[in-house]
Amino acid sequence: MSTDDSSNEFSKYGVYDVSERLDLFLPNISIKFERVSENAFFYSRADSEGNVSEKMIPAKSNQIQIELAPIRPLNHPARRTNYVFLKFDKEIYLSEDSAATIYVHCPIEIGIFLIHDQHRESLDWVTCNPLNSRFGLYGPPDTGTLCKLAEVSLATDMSDSISYVEGVMKILIENSLNTGQNFSKVIFPITDHSVYYDDSKAILDGLKVTLKKRAVVSVADVQPEKIQTDWIESPTWETFSKHTTVEMGLE
Amino acid sequence: MTPLDFLQSLSEIEIVGGLTVLSLLIGGIIMAVGIIVAKIAKMIFYKYYAPTLPQDTAKNLSKIIYFGIIIIAFLTFTSSQGLDLSGLLVAGGIFAVVIGFATQSVVSNLISGVFLMVEKPAKHGDTLQIPDMGISGTLLDIGTFSSRVRKFDGTVIRIPNEKFFTSNIRSLTSSTVRRAEAMVGIAYKDDIEQAIAAIKNEIRMTMPFVLMVPEPEFRVEELGDSSVNIQVLVWHPRDDWSQAQPILLTTVKRALDKTGIEIPFPQRVIWEAKE
Repeated sequence: MSTDDSSNEFSKYGVYDVSERLDLFLPNISIKFERVSENAFFYSRADSEGNVSEKMIPAKSNQIQIELAPIRPLNHPARRTNYVFLKFDKEIYLSEDSAATIYVHCPIEIGIFLIHDQHRESLDWVTCNPLNSRFGLYGPPDTGTLCKLAEVSLATDMSDSISYVEGVMKILIENSLNTGQNFSKVIFPITDHSVYYDDSKAILDGLKVTLKKRAVVSVADVQPEKIQTDWIESPTWETFSKHTTVEMGLE
Repeated sequence: MTPLDFLQSLSEIEIVGGLTVLSLLIGGIIMAVGIIVAKIAKMIFYKYYAPTLPQDTAKNLSKIIYFGIIIIAFLTFTSSQGLDLSGLLVAGGIFAVVIGFATQSVVSNLISGVFLMVEKPAKHGDTLQIPDMGISGTLLDIGTFSSRVRKFDGTVIRIPNEKFFTSNIRSLTSSTVRRAEAMVGIAYKDDIEQAIAAIKNEIRMTMPFVLMVPEPEFRVEELGDSSVNIQVLVWHPRDDWSQAQPILLTTVKRALDKTGIEIPFPQRVIWEAKE
């Protein structure tokens, strides 16, 4: 989806005040807030798959505040896992004892939050690219890890985000093995990662992947890495889980 | 008469074999206190510890705590009053043999229940299938003598623990993912590769719960009498069976309809010999 040209016609991420009516437009999605009485607002959202969500929002004052922000891609079509499986469109080759930093696109969803006394409450979420939102399994059917699967391309840098659809993630890969390795996928619990936004772009916390030997098998140790940025951090949609790491097997 | 005199008079009234009215009264008090303590212990257990345990384990532990305290209270009563239960034990032994024969299946269910709790082939909330009995549903609980399963039609069936324990149990929720299958026949004139590509694309576009890793699998299962039969196998998250299996055939047919691939009726070529 080409968005740089079209992103101008869509609503930007950020905080909006709703006093009478607010219409937000995202690719294939329209969102509407409308006052229906002195202390109540009506919310409706329609997406490209024909799904419609309608809610009444009682409010303490005659005005509400909402925030539109990118969130982790875990909710479409239903929340089943905390893990994401990024399958790269091109393999990366790392020679022995080497390291590389890559930028990859990572799918995002968009959250709509109600702001109450500086607290963000999750009201709804949408995805602008439902076709790239599928499940995948890492491991055998009985003990494997269910993941949200996305086939992603490499990005040029942190600013190469695809508006409303994909953020950018920095991955540092270190190969401490004494043989060259192909690297084509990464599996990690994305609940350890924050999402940040600016205008219509999004970035995510990064990953550090160390290819190493554990006993007699080669594994990839995947750790989250916080990034330093002046972009705005998105509110958290899901429950936050900490200190979770993954060890992937290497083919 | 002082209360002390009253108690003295009660201790002199013997009911049977050294058991006086006073000792019976003390026994009653000990048992009542035991029951109250057992109920309080059970309540505390349910409030503070049970929420962190699986439902079956919590239920069974609470029973053990409750009846354990009552048994301790009874033993305290008998030992404090110096009651000799040896005669009762002999009579009880003979009685137990008689009862044992009569209640063989009950004891068998009880023992099977214990084994079920130890082995845990399934736990509360698991979806399972017992092929031997033709039962599929959600396990509600494993009780002392029987287990209850809520079938998919909403009814609850009680299964004696012995039968449950000795049956083959197929767990539908112990794996991360499950596989759905469908079989479709296409006409001999149509291209198999094109049909597979069309079905694969339609599944990807319209079935978001179908896993893309591992990919949907297609097997040409049979060159049948009227059609080339293709088996479609797709994986889905274990709890989303209803988003895969019941709509898989509909998706397959829609894909073939869109591409104009024929699903043939049964047909037979008849050759007539010329005179």
